[in-house]
Amino acid sequence: MSGDLQRELEDLFAHYAEVIDDGDLERWPEFFTDPSLYRIVSKENWDKKLPMSLMRCESMGMLKDRAFASQKLNVYGPRAWRHFVSQIRARVEGDRIVARSNFVLYETLIEHQPQVLCLGRYLDVLVRQEGKLLFAERICVYDNAIIPGSIVLPV
Amino acid sequence: MTAPADPLGGFVWPAEGDSRAPYWIYLDQGIYRREIERIFEGPTWSYAGLECELPNPGDWKRSTIGEKSVLIVRGKDGVVRGFLNKCAHRGVKLCEEHTGSGEEFMCPYHQWVYDLEGKLMGLPFRRGVKGKGGMPDDFDLSEHGLTPIRVHVRTGAIFATLHADTPDFESYLGETILGFYDRIFSGRKLKLLGYQRQRLAANWKLMLENIKDTCHASLLHVFFVTFGLFRVDNPSKVRMDETGLHTGLVSERGQQELTDGTRQMASFQQHLALQDPRLLDTVREFPGDATVIMHTIWPNLILQQQSNTLATRQIVPRGPGEFDLHWTFFGYEDEPEELTQRRLRQANLMGPAGLVSMDDGEIMIRAQEGMAVDARSAGVIEMGGRDYDNADHMVTDVALRAFYRGYRKVMGL
Ligand SMILES: [Fe+2]
Repeated sequence: MSGDLQRELEDLFAHYAEVIDDGDLERWPEFFTDPSLYRIVSKENWDKKLPMSLMRCESMGMLKDRAFASQKLNVYGPRAWRHFVSQIRARVEGDRIVARSNFVLYETLIEHQPQVLCLGRYLDVLVRQEGKLLFAERICVYDNAIIPGSIVLPV
Repeated sequence: MTAPADPLGGFVWPAEGDSRAPYWIYLDQGIYRREIERIFEGPTWSYAGLECELPNPGDWKRSTIGEKSVLIVRGKDGVVRGFLNKCAHRGVKLCEEHTGSGEEFMCPYHQWVYDLEGKLMGLPFRRGVKGKGGMPDDFDLSEHGLTPIRVHVRTGAIFATLHADTPDFESYLGETILGFYDRIFSGRKLKLLGYQRQRLAANWKLMLENIKDTCHASLLHVFFVTFGLFRVDNPSKVRMDETGLHTGLVSERGQQELTDGTRQMASFQQHLALQDPRLLDTVREFPGDATVIMHTIWPNLILQQQSNTLATRQIVPRGPGEFDLHWTFFGYEDEPEELTQRRLRQANLMGPAGLVSMDDGEIMIRAQEGMAVDARSAGVIEMGGRDYDNADHMVTDVALRAFYRGYRKVMGL
């Protein structure tokens, strides 16, 4: 993989995390193709090949519905989210880029110490459309069997 | 504040009776210990798992009854048995994974080996080494097996009890609740779709209450209301067993029209449609008009048919202020793939990231925090009156009153 692509992915992944952490959720769907597949899956289900996800979006519509609900409809306490993404490694397969990286997601509730909400791998498939890299697939496989509390935003 | 240690020394149930739930029952350590003894380790059937999690001989799963880790095992004879999850030798936890499969159980510490029926098969150095050491001559393998627990399997689901006097499962559920139960667990083979697990900083009873509190669905869950999946004026029923501890909550999907009920909700937003309606595109798969049946089965199970989402939620208490919730999603082995896909999509509403269930988890935590402000005050449970009768609408707290009447009896409060 070229250094240019590596830098492009690093920038994209940082931007993706920034949009969620900054609360610009209406921009989150812009990172995906339509249709696409976005899933948050426990390592347990993933390893056992069980199809259940914590979150599953299959189209631009579903991504937008989730973003809207998270921002406007769901009821949850105030909190700060901070993603840390590392070890991005990718390979080009025809017109697709297959990438893998690690993530840690910290959640800080008011008057609580920050805690790791979930931690795991991003398994991605990206394609270039009109010069822009987009996720055709982003599967977030988290290691911790038990989620502390709720996951109120996309990972 | 922390509540005094002795529940009976400092606390008296409010004079209003079952239309009040005093906050000390959610906060006090003494009350919690009594709940473990009288409820979770008392004569109750706790949900332990689904048969489809251990389809073949030798398959096992780890589960939890109250605070106790247990193993549910399918023997070579196909029979499902239960054991405490600890080695009979020095108490080492036997199984660590959620599920597994094998011919036997071996404790790694001193390699005691048990068969699938819990019998101790042998142990190294039993006769000593070169004439030295070993177990005494009168050591009897048959006296050192795994500790068995009573298990009952009924059409796909597995229940267990730690108490000798627990009545048979069918009388325990009662006719009404059994009728609802058999609708989901009809004998059709189940297909396991996967798990969701979360830990909530709230008292375990709040989870059961949340389901029995039928009013909240049309108020708290703005998502439901916004997209017309649930309205307070939907035809519905609240059904209870004789103890009041189990409940069946039935509702039918209503018309998408602005009615008096919805107009009263501060958060109601008109004219909203999903960008991708597949999320709520449900199909009728059970006979009758009910589109949702939520069961609370005392003490640790919520069994749900929420449109095409079938799931068990297992409650594991972890002290007065915390519980784990294990969601197991399933379908039927003989169902079309298209229906399975609907279930996977509709599961977006459930669990720790659920468009609906996330609200419940968050509100329970907030309730726990609020109640701790004054353990001596009490919650008001008067919607729908002060009676205990089955209702044909959802604008009532009747299932909560019946629940606390039953709870007080069990707890001696
Ligand atoms: Fe709810």
